[in-house]
Amino acid sequence: MPTVLPPEPMADVVCLGVGYMSGVIAAELSIAALNNQVNYKVVAITKGPYWDYVNDFSTTKYDEWGVGLGRKYDSPLPLQSATIRNTPQQFALPVRRYTMPIQYHALGHGVGGAAQHYGGTMGRQGPWGYKQKSLTDTKYGTAFLPSINPHNDLEDWPLAYSDYEPYYVDWERAHGLCGNYNGSTTNSSSDMNYPWMSQNYPLPPHPLTPVAQSFQTAAQSLGYHPFPHVSALASQPYTNQYGVPVNPCVYDGYCGGPCDYACETGAKANAAYRTIPAAMKSGNFTLVVNSFIFRLNVDTTTNLITSAMYYDAQGNIHTQPGKVFFNGLWGYNMIRTMWLSGVGVPYRWNSDPTMVSGSLGRGLTNGYLPYRGTSVSASLPNVGGNSYPAGNGSGGSVDIYDLMDDNFDHTGLNFIGGSEIGAGGYLGGGPGNITFAGGSSSANMGATFKATQKDKYLPSKLSLGSTPFAHDLPTTDNYVDIDPHYTDAYGDPVARLTYDWTPNTYNGATYLANKVAAIFTKMGATNVTVGSTVNPGAAHNDWWGHHLRGGCRIGINAASSVWNKWNQCWAPYFNIFGAGEITNTSGDNVPSGTHVAGAQSYVAADGIRKYLALTAPGQLT
Amino acid sequence: MVSQTRREFLRLGLAAAASAAAASGIEIPLFANQNSSLQTQLNSANTQISNLQTRVNNVVGFLSLSVSEQSLLEAIVETIIPSDSNGPGAKEAGAIYFIDRQLAGDYGQSANMFMDGPFVLPGQTGTFNVNGRDIYNLSNLAPVSLPYTGTPSPRVGAGTNYQYPLNLREFWRVGLIALQAYANSAYGGNFEKLTSANQLQLLLDLWANKPTSFSNIKSSDFAYELTFMTWAGFLMDPIYGGNQNMVGWTYTGYNGVNFGNFYGEGYDQRTLMVATSPTRLKPASLAQYQQKATGGA
Repeated sequence: MPTVLPPEPMADVVCLGVGYMSGVIAAELSIAALNNQVNYKVVAITKGPYWDYVNDFSTTKYDEWGVGLGRKYDSPLPLQSATIRNTPQQFALPVRRYTMPIQYHALGHGVGGAAQHYGGTMGRQGPWGYKQKSLTDTKYGTAFLPSINPHNDLEDWPLAYSDYEPYYVDWERAHGLCGNYNGSTTNSSSDMNYPWMSQNYPLPPHPLTPVAQSFQTAAQSLGYHPFPHVSALASQPYTNQYGVPVNPCVYDGYCGGPCDYACETGAKANAAYRTIPAAMKSGNFTLVVNSFIFRLNVDTTTNLITSAMYYDAQGNIHTQPGKVFFNGLWGYNMIRTMWLSGVGVPYRWNSDPTMVSGSLGRGLTNGYLPYRGTSVSASLPNVGGNSYPAGNGSGGSVDIYDLMDDNFDHTGLNFIGGSEIGAGGYLGGGPGNITFAGGSSSANMGATFKATQKDKYLPSKLSLGSTPFAHDLPTTDNYVDIDPHYTDAYGDPVARLTYDWTPNTYNGATYLANKVAAIFTKMGATNVTVGSTVNPGAAHNDWWGHHLRGGCRIGINAASSVWNKWNQCWAPYFNIFGAGEITNTSGDNVPSGTHVAGAQSYVAADGIRKYLALTAPGQLT
Repeated sequence: MVSQTRREFLRLGLAAAASAAAASGIEIPLFANQNSSLQTQLNSANTQISNLQTRVNNVVGFLSLSVSEQSLLEAIVETIIPSDSNGPGAKEAGAIYFIDRQLAGDYGQSANMFMDGPFVLPGQTGTFNVNGRDIYNLSNLAPVSLPYTGTPSPRVGAGTNYQYPLNLREFWRVGLIALQAYANSAYGGNFEKLTSANQLQLLLDLWANKPTSFSNIKSSDFAYELTFMTWAGFLMDPIYGGNQNMVGWTYTGYNGVNFGNFYGEGYDQRTLMVATSPTRLKPASLAQYQQKATGGA
């Protein structure tokens, strides 16, 4: 039997999980100088350890098998999994294993969370993204969205881009983002897409690869506006606004991409090496590691949350009381924990979209169209370079935003939004040996296939590829609830994801693929091939990894969203905030919504300050 | 063979090398070209280091595979990646040792897999009932009968595709027996004795779910493990027992943990990233990297 221990000392702010978003809350609320010299006590709880990149990663991270398949730094599936299905009528199958080469995407474990092992790809959401519902209705008519997105559930954000802009700046400074916008017309290549940025990224971009340079020239000649990819991997030594020093990238290639390596220099931005060190130094912060949060206790009279309960590594039960709680858990576990605690209004699906109810779990979307999108492949014989690991996960490439958002006219088309289009990041985002050398089909056997692998990583074999993801839209049929059959290691139900592709993604991808092919052709590529169009009837989502997002919407409407404009839970659960799971974002430049959610964590920090200054608990306006 | 620099000699600093030098009464370290006798001694020591490095990158012997499994699996991996005029294959890489080590360890034990029931096979169609609980009323833990119309259809190799109530070691045991049974029934003999064309065709049959000998297992699921694990045994770091002497990396032109200067080539990583002409680097293994990083600095 687990021992129930006496309650821990009262905290002002309790962070659930210690990833990107909780890191911001921890730093912003614990540092007295940022809060008019008020000493807020912050406690943050994570189920994993505090990785130290020097000791933990420097000699053992160059291990494709252990990192990529063993997921030795990541969330263990026996502890908790999730189930997935495509329709509400199906039995949802549990995710039983991490597999290469198909699904290596793991949730994070410990301080830094999933951002310990991502590619660092970033990009703000522009003005259109925050108002995509109303702008689409105005420009294309109110009948358009329902016609292209059956059971459409798209909504605007509570505020406009200009309201969020200062929060983006804070977040970019904290994490040392790289990009080249210089705020003036001298850099005409980026003007089109960044007229709405008030200041530069804190660090310059990574050097462009030869492929990126070729793409840049070709795109420009076709009238597009290429610019270096925005990256969260530091390009130079840097110190953020909290005084935390950052080492730069060393370009060894064991980075993002197929395997998602941890970074041995700390150049890969995440909470462990940007915000949590500052919180630790504040003297007002307590970090609780190896502890699994399982419940929030709610006062049945006030509906306020009084404490969070967690298991320590020995299975003992701890109770952490607090004045305000910040839900920084991974997307569907954020939902699960609230659902199991009776916080929020659980979403109840109905085949009639007008009959659905509740908001917790509503609006699951996908920032990815993995392997079933329309893909473009080509050979690029005249550009050299090395395709074995060198470089990093998100630097070195260039992008265009011309085919994203409403940057082109959608009249007569059957989708809204679009995608960032880019090229030039190497295969060297990670070794990816197994991904590229097969194992997933019958074609990967025998002498004929083996011959194709000879010198695969040398430039003579350099190939170009692109799979535009297009823009996923929320529907009432894609959602998160909890599973009636499967439980975590402690006996609590796991999250159940009901999701299938929306037509907007494959219709958009089909349109975009031909545009990409035209750029590749302009680059001088040969064998430019546009892969087959997705057949929505024949291909269904089997993706469960960390690009599925949403289900916990920031919104205008309490009936369909969980958080208000301050990222505070709607009445009556006033004292819980969340970074917001990103249901509505535009384009794939923010594949997991990290950059957008990052700005929201600063919104939440401001909201929590405002809440703690209230004389009585209530809704912020 | 790439000659060792003095610096690497010192860093590697293996006991055997030191004792070889000490036995001859030579004090090390010494300048490599001090005199020809010393040079000879040093070369001899370096050869021994190189041999030890080779042994670091090799394993032999079995921990998990049974005698009959060894010969069968050897024939299978050599079918998937044959040794031919293009270069070495699964045999030279020792892919079977990689698989053996995996079956004996976490992979075989499904140690990082979610293995709780109920076990519902993918692809089940039609209406069926599974007992569950009312997820909207969590206080009600009494079983309720929930009707479903089918399951999703994940790809072979997807995280939700494997739904068997067997750990992967048992899955391989069952799979290899079923494969051998199919070889006998469809091709008239044990897999090891078939022509190489028939061996490849048999594996293609597995991918196409032709055999019936697999009973409740989809043979394509087993074909996936065979194909994928063989390639892993060819291409993963030698520390796991396959890719011996890094033949898989040499074949694919992959650099392993040589970031441009492991053997003193003089490249830096940033330069390689933006290079416009090809650079073939001799690969280095994780064990070599760790020896160098921690051995003598």
